[in-house]
Amino acid sequence: MARLGIMSFAHLHADFYATAIAGLPDVELVGVWDDNAERGEEKAAQYNTRFFPTPEELFAPENEIDGVIVTSENVNHKRDVLAAAEAGVDILCEKPISVSVDDAYVMIDECEQAGVQLMIAFPSRYAPSFQRLLEMVRAGELGEILCIKGTNRGENPGGWFNDPSLAGGGAVIDHTVHVVDLCRTMLEQEVVKVYAEIDTIFDPDLPCDDCGILTMNFDGGVVATLDASWSRPKNYPIWGDVTMAVIGTEGNAWVDLFVEHVDIWRASAGTHLWEPYGHDVNADMIADFARCVDTGAPVPITGMDGLKAMEVALGAYKAADSGRPVGLPLA
Amino acid sequence: MVRVAICGAGGLGGNHAGNFDAMPGAEVTMVYDVDEDAARELADAVAARPAEKEADLWGDDVDVVVITTPTPFHHYYTLKAAEAGKHIFCEKPMCRTMEQGEEMLEAVREAGVKFMVGHVVRFFPEYVLARALIQDGEIGDVAIARTSRINTLPGGPNSWFANYEMSGGVTLDMTIHDFDWLLWTFGPAERVYSVGVPNHMPPLDYGLTTIRFESGTIAHCEGSWAELGQFRTHFDIAGSDGLIRHSSTENSTLTVQRRGGAEDRAAVQVPESPAAVSPYMLEDQHFIDCIVNNEEPMITGEEALAAVEVALAAMESNEAGGKPIKL
Repeated sequence: MARLGIMSFAHLHADFYATAIAGLPDVELVGVWDDNAERGEEKAAQYNTRFFPTPEELFAPENEIDGVIVTSENVNHKRDVLAAAEAGVDILCEKPISVSVDDAYVMIDECEQAGVQLMIAFPSRYAPSFQRLLEMVRAGELGEILCIKGTNRGENPGGWFNDPSLAGGGAVIDHTVHVVDLCRTMLEQEVVKVYAEIDTIFDPDLPCDDCGILTMNFDGGVVATLDASWSRPKNYPIWGDVTMAVIGTEGNAWVDLFVEHVDIWRASAGTHLWEPYGHDVNADMIADFARCVDTGAPVPITGMDGLKAMEVALGAYKAADSGRPVGLPLA
Repeated sequence: MVRVAICGAGGLGGNHAGNFDAMPGAEVTMVYDVDEDAARELADAVAARPAEKEADLWGDDVDVVVITTPTPFHHYYTLKAAEAGKHIFCEKPMCRTMEQGEEMLEAVREAGVKFMVGHVVRFFPEYVLARALIQDGEIGDVAIARTSRINTLPGGPNSWFANYEMSGGVTLDMTIHDFDWLLWTFGPAERVYSVGVPNHMPPLDYGLTTIRFESGTIAHCEGSWAELGQFRTHFDIAGSDGLIRHSSTENSTLTVQRRGGAEDRAAVQVPESPAAVSPYMLEDQHFIDCIVNNEEPMITGEEALAAVEVALAAMESNEAGGKPIKL
C-alpha cells in the first residue's frame, strides 16, 4: 500500500492523478497541501482526503506518507520537491521538471542526497501505441531511424501557464518535453542541436509565446521537428494531440497516442466533441510510481530525463531569440 | 486552334498531352523526346506526330511548347522555345538553379511569349478554398501552417528522380508545390530551416522544412518520398480565430481495390482528383485561355522562381544538417 500526498492543484493534471489514485486498490491519497488553501480544501473534499495548511503538516510522521505528487506551477516545482526530499519521501514531479537547468540539477542532487526517488510525469510513455513502437524500433523492424516529425499541440490552458514568471515560458516550455522524452526513450540519443521559430500570434496580447516549431538534431544522427503550439481552437473536439511520424530505412510508423475516440454531436448543446476511450496512461503512470514507492524499485523516468527534455525547450527559446541553432547541453 | 508540342514524353508529358488533346481549343501536333520510342508511343496515343529531331519543335506548326523533361533541362528548352517565339508551359520545378531561372525569366521576357510553370496545386479545389478562407480572414492571423505531401519515390530506384543532382530530391521536386501555395497565400518568405535525409536515394528521401514568412506566419512542410502506401496530402492551418484542416485520404470520395496486378503502376503517380474537371485540365485550360485572350498566366515565372528559391534554401539548410538561410 503506497500512501501518497499531492502538493498543489495548480496544474490541471493533479485532477487526473487524484482520480487515478482513487481507482487504484493499493494506493491511498493521504492528504493534500496547496499554497492556495481554498483550492486545497476544495480538492481535498472532492477526493475524500484531508487538507494540510503547510507541507510540514502533510509530512507529519503520523501521516506515514511514502510519496508525493508535485503539481504546482513550474517555478514552484523546486520549492516543493526540495520540501519533499527533506521529508524523505519519493516524488513524482509534474513536467517540466523546472524552468532552469541549474534548478533541475539542485533538485536531482538534493533528492539523491536525501535518498529519495525523483520521477518525472511523462505519462505518454505508458501509451500502448508508444510501447509497441518502442518494441518495433528496438527490434530493428524499421531499420535505422532517420527522421521524426512530432506534434504536441493543444488549446491554450490559460491561467498561470500564460505567466512566464510562473511557467518559465509559454507553449514551448509546456509542450516540448513530452515528445522530446519519447524520442530520447526510443532512440537512446540526446539532442545536441536545436533551432526554433517561436512567436505569439494566436493571442498577440499574451505575455508568453503561443506557437513554436522546433527542429532537433540527435547525437546519433536522427533529425526531428516538433510542433509545440497552442494551436487548437477553443472549440476543438479534444484537448490536443501527441503524434510522431517515424521514418526509418526499413519502414515508417505513425503514432497518434490519444486519437482513440467516438465522435459525438450533441444536438441541443450544438457541440461536436471527441469522447476518448483510449487507455488511461495517467493511471498506469501513478500505479508505476506507487510500485516504485512500495518496492524501492528504481523509477523508470528520472529527474535527468526531465532535465534533458526541459533543456531542449530552454535551448529552443535561446535559438528563437538569437535566430541561430543552439548546441546542447547548454553551457 | 492552339497547336501544342510536348517536349518530354514521361508521365506528366502524357498527362498534359491527354488534356490538350481533349480540349476544344487546342491540339497536340507533335511529341518530342530523346527517347524516340517514348515519343512515338505518346504521339500515337494523341494522334500527333513524333518529332524527328529537336529542331522540329521550333517549326511553324507549333504555338506552344510544353516542357516536361527532367528538371535540369527546363532551362535549355525554355531558352530555345523563347528564341523561337513559342509560348511555354514548363513543369515544376521551374529550374535546377537560380541562375537558370534568371536566364529563363529574361528569355521569355525578351521574347514576349507566355510562360507558365505547372504549380497545379493552385488548381486543386481544397487548396483554392483554404486560401480563400484564409484571405477572407475566416481563421484570423495564421500562426502555424502545416503541410504534408507524401509519395513513394517516383519512378522507382532507377529513374532520374532518384538522382539528387538532377531532381533535387523531394524538396525541390515535390514539396515545392506547398512552398508555392504558401508563398501565394502568405506572401514573401523571410527565412528557411530544413532537415532531412538527402543522401538516402534510392530508396527514399524525406525533408522537414520550417519557413518564416514576412507576415509572421510559421510554416512547416513535410515532404516524403519514403512512403510505402498511397500518395496523400494534408494541411492543418491554425490562426488566431480558428483552424482549417484537410486530408486527402479522409476526403477521398472513391476508393477502389483490385485483385491482382499490384505491380501495374505509372512511372509518376499523378494524384487522382475525383472532380468533374481535373486540376491538371484546369491548369492547361487556363494556359490556353491566356494565349487566346492575351492575358498573363496566374502563375508567373517570378513566382515560380521564388518557390525554387525557397526549395534551394531548404536543400542548402538540409545539406548543412540544419542551418537558417535568409532569403
